[in-house]
Amino acid sequence: EAMCSGKLQTGLLVAGYFIYLLVGAAVFQALERAAEKQEKMAAAQMKEAFLQNFTHLTVAEMEQFMKNLTEAIQNGVYPVGNESQIEDSNWDFSDSFFFAGTVVSTIGYGTLRPKTAGGQIFCVFFALFGIPLNIVFLHRVGKMLSLLCKKLGKFLYEKGMRKKRIKSLTLLFFLVTGILVFLCLPSLFFQMTEGWSYSEGIYFAFITLSTIGFGDYVIGKQPGRNYFSYYRMLVAIWILFGLAWIALLFNL
Amino acid sequence: MVAARQQQRRWYGVPVLLALYLGYVGLGAGVLQALERPAEMQVAQHLLQEHWKLLANYTCLQGPALQRLFQGIIQAYKSGITLQGNTTSLGRWDFSGSFFFSISAITTIGYGNLSPSTAAGRIFCIVFALFGIPLNLVLLNEIGQLMLLGVQHCAHRLEELFHWQKKASLLIKTCALVTGLLLFLLLPPLLFSEKEGWSYEEGFYYSFITLSTIGFGDYVIGMNPDRTYPGWYKNIISLWIPFGMAWLALVIKLCINFLESSSDICQCKKKSTEMVEDLMDGSKTNITGLHNLEICNHKDTKAKGLDESHSYPAPKEAQ
Repeated sequence: EAMCSGKLQTGLLVAGYFIYLLVGAAVFQALERAAEKQEKMAAAQMKEAFLQNFTHLTVAEMEQFMKNLTEAIQNGVYPVGNESQIEDSNWDFSDSFFFAGTVVSTIGYGTLRPKTAGGQIFCVFFALFGIPLNIVFLHRVGKMLSLLCKKLGKFLYEKGMRKKRIKSLTLLFFLVTGILVFLCLPSLFFQMTEGWSYSEGIYFAFITLSTIGFGDYVIGKQPGRNYFSYYRMLVAIWILFGLAWIALLFNL
Repeated sequence: MVAARQQQRRWYGVPVLLALYLGYVGLGAGVLQALERPAEMQVAQHLLQEHWKLLANYTCLQGPALQRLFQGIIQAYKSGITLQGNTTSLGRWDFSGSFFFSISAITTIGYGNLSPSTAAGRIFCIVFALFGIPLNLVLLNEIGQLMLLGVQHCAHRLEELFHWQKKASLLIKTCALVTGLLLFLLLPPLLFSEKEGWSYEEGFYYSFITLSTIGFGDYVIGMNPDRTYPGWYKNIISLWIPFGMAWLALVIKLCINFLESSSDICQCKKKSTEMVEDLMDGSKTNITGLHNLEICNHKDTKAKGLDESHSYPAPKEAQ
């Protein structure tokens, strides 16, 4: 009978999972479709306006130009500004380091990615060994943080608080401080350095720390902004400890 | 005393691990830079040549207008809109697109080729993922369990049938590994190269990047507007992703066990069981559901009385 209820549970789980996905899909569609339509109309209008201003450009030439441009953008080359940009590579060492970090933590923004076959294959094997390494590392850091937690618990216990209360209190404490330190404060920081709104900063922080990593918002990629030299390293440290915090939360 | 020594070893372990971690990431960075930079230079050169050629041909194209056009195209691209051809083509946020997006969010793959542009969409995305990711972990755990049980059953059957001892478990495990490798990483690229027109290597790269939940989004299935996809295609992929992710999670767990066991020199039983308990402790260190696999495998194998000396999670328990 236990087996039977186990199978039922699994069935319910699978059904629940699919329903969850369906509901999400419907809601996203409802929220995003209208905005997308507007963007498309704006893009079409822009194209029209451009063609009208430069009437000797045929539509075919325009299409070709657009195609080349889109390809370049897909390759991460933004043709805005003057040609001194050719000296700036997307693959200088700090960028590559950040990229390697996003691979190993499985965030995978995708704004920077390997295009050569060699780079891609290397990326696969790099991740194959890097992801376990990352997990073990986060595990250890999480344990270190949890030891702090236990010390706090012990201190409170000696002060005469009950065990159950201590547990819930420490959980709450770490939850709240974590949210402040890893979600709220960095968003303020990003507001300054990236010019995002506060909600965009929170969105970025969440998408990064959950390792989803869409790549629609990425630090250090706003054109025309100057970032101080250790910016990326600072953000990488934040990501590392944020991930460890999440590991810790599951540990508690 | 033993506890103190263990504590000491643990404290000592973190800086070394940190150094190893940073070194590894730095190494990867160096190699990728060496591989990718030349190619990137080429593309940039090519584009600039095009740019200047265009300006030279059409001298009436002025700088600011062109820049504005570029900005507009970049903006549209980031919103997931391609400006080629007739812009009245189907949008990306139709139901199947949104469904795929939901999957990429809660599995934490996060391709990003499509991402919410409205503030409400983003907030909903956060809440959706907050509950969806644990749900996904639980599901992956179940799938992983099923796979593991299947492998163990096979091992038992073989043992009973042929009266092999420990050899059977190793054989079965290797078989399972190879089958999984074929099914999830080596055969799907063939399908992709036919349906998507990618090379085999690109298909393999895509498969791994997806199943490990890295999900760059440079390659995404079913997104080519010039191709038609049969109805069963997306369904097959929807099956392949969760099973493949569960399998890869098991493989990665194997690697982790190997790493953790090789970093501990002292083989005393107490330490090993404590370490195993640590691993089972439910620490979420990987989104692909490793921790749940660890807890449940441990509990289940004990509960079902399969006195496992050959189960993935705890090679040390055999002592």
